[in-house]
Amino acid sequence: MVVAAQHPNITLLTYAEVEEVSGYIGNFEVKIKQKARYVDMKKCTGCGLCETKCPTKVASEYDLGLGKRPCIYKPFPQAVPNKPIIDAVNCKKLVEGKCGVCAKVCPTGAVNFEDKDEYITEKVGAIVMATGFDLFDYSKTYGEYGYGELPDVISGLHFERLANASGPTGGKIKRPSDHKIPETVVFIKCVGSRDDVKGKTYCSKACCMYTAKHAMQVLEKIPNSQAYVFYMDVRTPGKMYDEFYNRALNQGAQYLRGRVSKIFQQGDKLIVRGEDTIIGQQIEVAADMVVLATAMIPTHGSDKIAQVVGFSTDKDGWFTEAHPKLRPVETNTGGVYLSGSCQGPKDVPDTVAQASAAAIKVVALLSKDQMATNPRISVVDEAKCHGCLVCKGVCPYKAIDGKVVSERAHGHTIERTVASVNTGLCQGCGACTVACRSGALNLKGFTDEQILAEVDAACL
Amino acid sequence: MKRIGVFLCHCGTNIAAVVDIPKVAEEIRKLPNVVLVAENKYCCSEPGQVDIVKAIKENNLDRVVVSSCSPRMHEGTFQNAIAQAGLNPYMMEMANIREHCSWVHAKEPEKATAKAIDLVKKAVFKVAKVQPLFEDYIPVTKKALVIGGGIAGIQTAIDIADCGFPVILVEKESTIGGRMAQLDKTFPTLDCSA
Ligand SMILES: Cc1cc2nc3c(=O)[nH]c(=O)nc-3n(C[C@H](O)[C@H](O)[C@H](O)COP(=O)(O)OP(=O)(O)OC[C@H]3O[C@@H](n4cnc5c(N)ncnc54)[C@H](O)[C@@H]3O)c2cc1C
Ligand code: SF4
Ligand code: SF4
Ligand code: SF4
Repeated sequence: MVVAAQHPNITLLTYAEVEEVSGYIGNFEVKIKQKARYVDMKKCTGCGLCETKCPTKVASEYDLGLGKRPCIYKPFPQAVPNKPIIDAVNCKKLVEGKCGVCAKVCPTGAVNFEDKDEYITEKVGAIVMATGFDLFDYSKTYGEYGYGELPDVISGLHFERLANASGPTGGKIKRPSDHKIPETVVFIKCVGSRDDVKGKTYCSKACCMYTAKHAMQVLEKIPNSQAYVFYMDVRTPGKMYDEFYNRALNQGAQYLRGRVSKIFQQGDKLIVRGEDTIIGQQIEVAADMVVLATAMIPTHGSDKIAQVVGFSTDKDGWFTEAHPKLRPVETNTGGVYLSGSCQGPKDVPDTVAQASAAAIKVVALLSKDQMATNPRISVVDEAKCHGCLVCKGVCPYKAIDGKVVSERAHGHTIERTVASVNTGLCQGCGACTVACRSGALNLKGFTDEQILAEVDAACL
Repeated sequence: MKRIGVFLCHCGTNIAAVVDIPKVAEEIRKLPNVVLVAENKYCCSEPGQVDIVKAIKENNLDRVVVSSCSPRMHEGTFQNAIAQAGLNPYMMEMANIREHCSWVHAKEPEKATAKAIDLVKKAVFKVAKVQPLFEDYIPVTKKALVIGGGIAGIQTAIDIADCGFPVILVEKESTIGGRMAQLDKTFPTLDCSA
């Protein structure tokens, strides 16, 4: 993280979002919104005094609500950049005009309540998508796990925060309801994954491994603890992966093959009822905490950013690669590449490998001073074009625009609009050529005349 | 008068075991503008390409049909070959008689042969109408944008930056790190993730 922030060739824009993208491979223009931080990045030294004095505490998103944070905050102590922002929705000063404690205590006068969103425009040659994943919200669909209403039924990511030394419990695994140390922990895998009825059809790939990790963490950190894992399959292909799973077994994790049909509260225990399909019996475990390995899904807002940048997504919303085997880090839009789990569920080793693969594709492009375009693109016969611009609407790559041409007719100069194809943007899909009623559009290499010759061949 | 050369590939037995290639050759020879029909076991191989280049020069061909596999597979290969012989790379058509014919009609060789004739004929008629095409050149802005500052975006940005190109890394949260920063230790090595 720190390497990226300090690299002389990297400009880091945090708390920022890409709002508009125009142009084409080698020549994009992007508009980036720098959201108001209310803290002057140049003046702030990151001392954190303001964070300790802010009287308004709200649930920390970063800790998934397990802990609290002030309204002027860094999501976690090692944040990069290590400077706070003000949460404008909850800050008393910004909402009600009262408070302003942080501004008073800040020794460098970095707090600025007048800060506004700013827009930056940049020209770039390539765009890499690395927007990652979110977790499937089981609470709406999985009644058997308590609809999200049992406080001690948590997701794997909650568990990570509990186990993390800089998390809300300082790394002590405590259950959310009463902060008791849970001695019996049940893990349920494939929650929302591999379920074509209520969840996603795919396997989320990282959860078999992180559940084994979590089970070991319980067994190592909590004396006299027991870890049960309900599973459908154990999928641990990968270098040193099966060994890792076996380590969990050797440390005493108890794997039970079967699905859980119900979890309910009984006193201070959670009764987990399920089936052990190996012994063919119903079983019940009285647990102190239940951890669900919920499915990975595309990050919130990924459909919108895909539209802004202009590339396609699959049925589940993951970003679509140009070819599943041969072009895994490219999209079908020239100059737009995919890195990491935005393309599909991935663990860190896969993510890093793909991230470097995407980088080399970008470097190959940026190393050129100019690039050849595919000549099999659409051309407009301006004499035939009426300027209706129906083609503009059908082009999925936003390659067509109107342009005004002036010509002489009957002794006058007249101006009229005709369609114009951007040779960088056009991908030669041909959609416009069939939409054009006046036959003014032709795809080079697939002209009407050439296609009709093929029809002749078939008929003659 | 156009001078079309047609190259019929066997693809080992992939095509030739189903499609009757000599029969296809016989039919295609009858078509207008076709001055040469040649067969080859593997058109895409080095000797296969050399044969195409030689045939173009010897027969003064001005356009070519390669009847073989999908253009997704070897269009570039054959474009390069005809360019070596001095033709514009777009003066070529491919007839896909493998994926579109021998593979899908493996159990009906006669019908497959009839279809292969139609597919090659179609390509011959089309190639008679093709014109040289020329690539356009566009400039490249030597700067990259990475959207998302998780481990993926960070790694991509560092790799590009290490190669000497400027990178803008845009993260919607106030810190980079993504999910991995939320994790405790990561498998399989169990080292810390910050
Ligand atoms: C509970 C759990 C435990 C795990 N444990 C392990 C483990 O032990 N070992 C392992 O190898 N893997 C583990 N994984 C998997 C690991 O988390 C992922 O492989 C990794 O985080 C993927 O990185 P990423 O950069 O692709 O996505 P993310 O980490 O999701 O990063 C995406 C980033 O993009 C940002 N972003 C999203 N949309 C936008 C936008 N529109 N504009 C700007 N920025 C945006 C996000 O804020 C985020 O910072 C675990 C996963 C979970 C859920
Ligand atoms: S002004 Fe807002 S951020 Fe600052 S201390 Fe008050 S509530 Fe917190
Ligand atoms: S990785 Fe394991 S737990 Fe996760 S969805 Fe696949 S099989 Fe289920
Ligand atoms: S061929 Fe396709 S990409 Fe090109 S202008 Fe027409 S619709 Fe757009």
